[in-house]
Amino acid sequence: MHRTTTWLAVVVVAGIAGCSTKPQAPGQRAMATGDVQQAALASYIKPGDLDTYYLFYSGGHSGQVFVAGVPSMRHIATIPVFAPYPGTGYGFDEESRKLLGDFTWGDLHHPALSKTDGDYDGRWLFVNDNANNRIARIDLHDLKTKQILGPIPNTMGNHGSSMVINNTEYALVATRFSVPLGSQYAPLEEYATKFKGAVTGIKVDPKDGTMSIGWQIMTPPFNWDLGATGKGGSDGWAFWTSYNSERATGKLESASAQRDRDYVAVVNWKAAEQAAKAGKTFEVGGGRMIDPAKTAGVMWLLPCGKSPHGVDVDPSGEYVICSGKLQPTSTVFSFKKIQEAISRQDFTGNEDGIPVIKYESAMLMEVPVGLGPLHTQFDGKGYAYTSLYVESAITKWKLPPYAAGTDPKSVVVDKIPVQFNVGHLVTAEGDTRHPQGTYLVAMNKMSKGRHLNVGPSIPESSQLIDISGGKMKMIYEAYTEPEPHFAQLVRREILKPIEFYPKEENKDPNAIWAPKDARVIRNAATHTVEGRIYAIRSYFEPGRVQVQEGDTVVLHVTNAEQQRDEIHGFGIVALNKNVVIDPGETKTLKFIARKSGVYPYYCTNFCSALHQEMQGYLEVVPAGQALAMYRNGEGQMLPAPAHDLAARH
Amino acid sequence: MQHLLRGRRSRLLVAALLSAAAIVLPLWGMTLVSTQYPEGLRLVVYPSYIRGDVSEINALNHYIGMTPISDDFFGELRLLPASLALIAVACGAAAFVRHVWMDLLPLGLMTGLAGFGAWSMHHRLYQFGHDLDPTAPIRITPFTPPMLGTNQIAQFATYAYFSWGTFLTLAAGALVVLVLVDDLRGSRPAPRLRVAPAPA
Repeated sequence: MHRTTTWLAVVVVAGIAGCSTKPQAPGQRAMATGDVQQAALASYIKPGDLDTYYLFYSGGHSGQVFVAGVPSMRHIATIPVFAPYPGTGYGFDEESRKLLGDFTWGDLHHPALSKTDGDYDGRWLFVNDNANNRIARIDLHDLKTKQILGPIPNTMGNHGSSMVINNTEYALVATRFSVPLGSQYAPLEEYATKFKGAVTGIKVDPKDGTMSIGWQIMTPPFNWDLGATGKGGSDGWAFWTSYNSERATGKLESASAQRDRDYVAVVNWKAAEQAAKAGKTFEVGGGRMIDPAKTAGVMWLLPCGKSPHGVDVDPSGEYVICSGKLQPTSTVFSFKKIQEAISRQDFTGNEDGIPVIKYESAMLMEVPVGLGPLHTQFDGKGYAYTSLYVESAITKWKLPPYAAGTDPKSVVVDKIPVQFNVGHLVTAEGDTRHPQGTYLVAMNKMSKGRHLNVGPSIPESSQLIDISGGKMKMIYEAYTEPEPHFAQLVRREILKPIEFYPKEENKDPNAIWAPKDARVIRNAATHTVEGRIYAIRSYFEPGRVQVQEGDTVVLHVTNAEQQRDEIHGFGIVALNKNVVIDPGETKTLKFIARKSGVYPYYCTNFCSALHQEMQGYLEVVPAGQALAMYRNGEGQMLPAPAHDLAARH
Repeated sequence: MQHLLRGRRSRLLVAALLSAAAIVLPLWGMTLVSTQYPEGLRLVVYPSYIRGDVSEINALNHYIGMTPISDDFFGELRLLPASLALIAVACGAAAFVRHVWMDLLPLGLMTGLAGFGAWSMHHRLYQFGHDLDPTAPIRITPFTPPMLGTNQIAQFATYAYFSWGTFLTLAAGALVVLVLVDDLRGSRPAPRLRVAPAPA
């Protein structure tokens, strides 16, 4: 790629690529019979058998994480993160309501598994929220969202996230939109000077995974896009791509594509950590900000193809690959050369005091991968796989070292069409130090009716490709709800989730394990009713809860089951309430009984032959009317027992 | 091993050891298998407690109105460890005091325990299968789950079996019987009642 690259070159390469792959009409299947049989066997998992990989893919603006098995591509579960999910009662009980706060959606793009020594360790999954500037942690012990951190200061659109460093010291964040620091106002006319970007290291507690805001680095007002972490020789470093180095506002599709190059931020995060420790920061908007113009040795800028999305580091940590979406090449940088250029001060200028490394000094090769290169992953066998959005294909190409005078075209070894417009791709453990080299999932942005027609609002398509041999082979495709961006593909043995919550580990002070301990106590002075409800096949104890109109009602429901899949729900008819309690779990529901009447409650998650009978009544007694209750020794009001089950069990 | 089982004292000491070991080993068990529980639900009775999938079995049994199984429900469980300990002590004492009556003491205790155990098991199984809550959602014909072997109750195939604790106690009993036979035959005439010196 030379500075003279123009759209003409793009068109020429498009022509070549066009010759090499047959055009495909929507719905047309290109596989020959023999291939179909092979592919069918490769993806078929017989009923009762397990897949070999977990695929955690982001749900985009659905705000959730989807879990599928590979190679079958069967969707297994949805992990709610940034949006309520009645299916698991997420966003209805007090704990998950607190997690969500006032937000009802998020835009979840890039999941990242925790790592030890650069390989997945199966402890946590970190996910970003591009919409409301948050980052969340899912505990893989039970595959539940445990923490949502945010809004992250000085961040508007947490897109370049949540890449995880080698030993999970940090999860990375970068603001997509640059805004005035500290949530202040400045007119758009002052964008180039008053607006600032920031990249952030979110500190992760190595024991329990608790996240907190670490350091932040102030940047020029570019749009930060995606990140990657160093490994091996580049451990201690992080990289982010940016677009709009023009610092334009308005119609960015052209305004941000005027320069030939945008930048990759090269960050020495260990130096940033040190600078933050040494107090070389200023407080702004609740963040501790490092100014890289004043603190040298923290950040450099590296030019790359314009409007890049992905920046990716190969398993050895030596090669940093960046692809500009508007150029038909992926650029391979050498980390060693980057280091040499930095130590030689081989710079071509600076942006707001941040040195710009000379492109030619750090670059090893521009690989002609094809049109619209977006994201690259690896197979651990010396090859890289780059998704081509414009061309709707995946390119397989050889990583360095290259012999002197190697023809860049000869580096590309295989290309496979995908249907259609692939965004991210993921290979098995492809961003670790030891990729598996087995499967690749192409997450396509368009499915264009390859599925049964479901009207105009249609899903995305994800295609499974076998990368274990020399040639890539298309195996299977599945459709996912909007909208997978990136994913993590991890061997099943890395995860060790529980099957239910052992009651010994339930630390909720309101948990109960016998129906005799179920009780509802009303405090007449505070107009509060607090109840402990016992749920088991196929009844609730008590089967009757009486409150006064206007009371604040707090119900702690314990699912006393100790059996996998014996999940109970507690839904209250007409009150918009539903908690779903896993075996051994206690969840708390809080609401105000505003209107008198009788509201049945029932089990919402089918549990047993008498599931339908698992029900009870919430009586909201009109204000001023006496409750059918008795007073106990301590002067508390207790409802009369509904039936004598407690006596029997 | 064979050497251990030849001498009178070693036979009785082994019997004492086996009886003592039985205190912590399962005596009896039942496995229930159905389509939904292909791995089976287990109920394992130890001398002083019941283990296995007790809560799940209770959850299912309540549909037919069965009394929930719990350690507290079985008074027998309070007696069993002490009985086994007593047998072990009796065997140990007989090892050092050669006398027919000293053989008959542990043997008597064992026979008593076995008899009481069998009666109590049968009684409890009968009780569980017959003392059903008349208001239970599912009404079934009262039944007695077998102490040994297979049975079908609704969708569950049940397998009942004795376990190590029982086998070891029976083996201890057999050893005491061998000792008694030898002592009665007088093949090695019993000397006067005396306290044996400590074994080397």
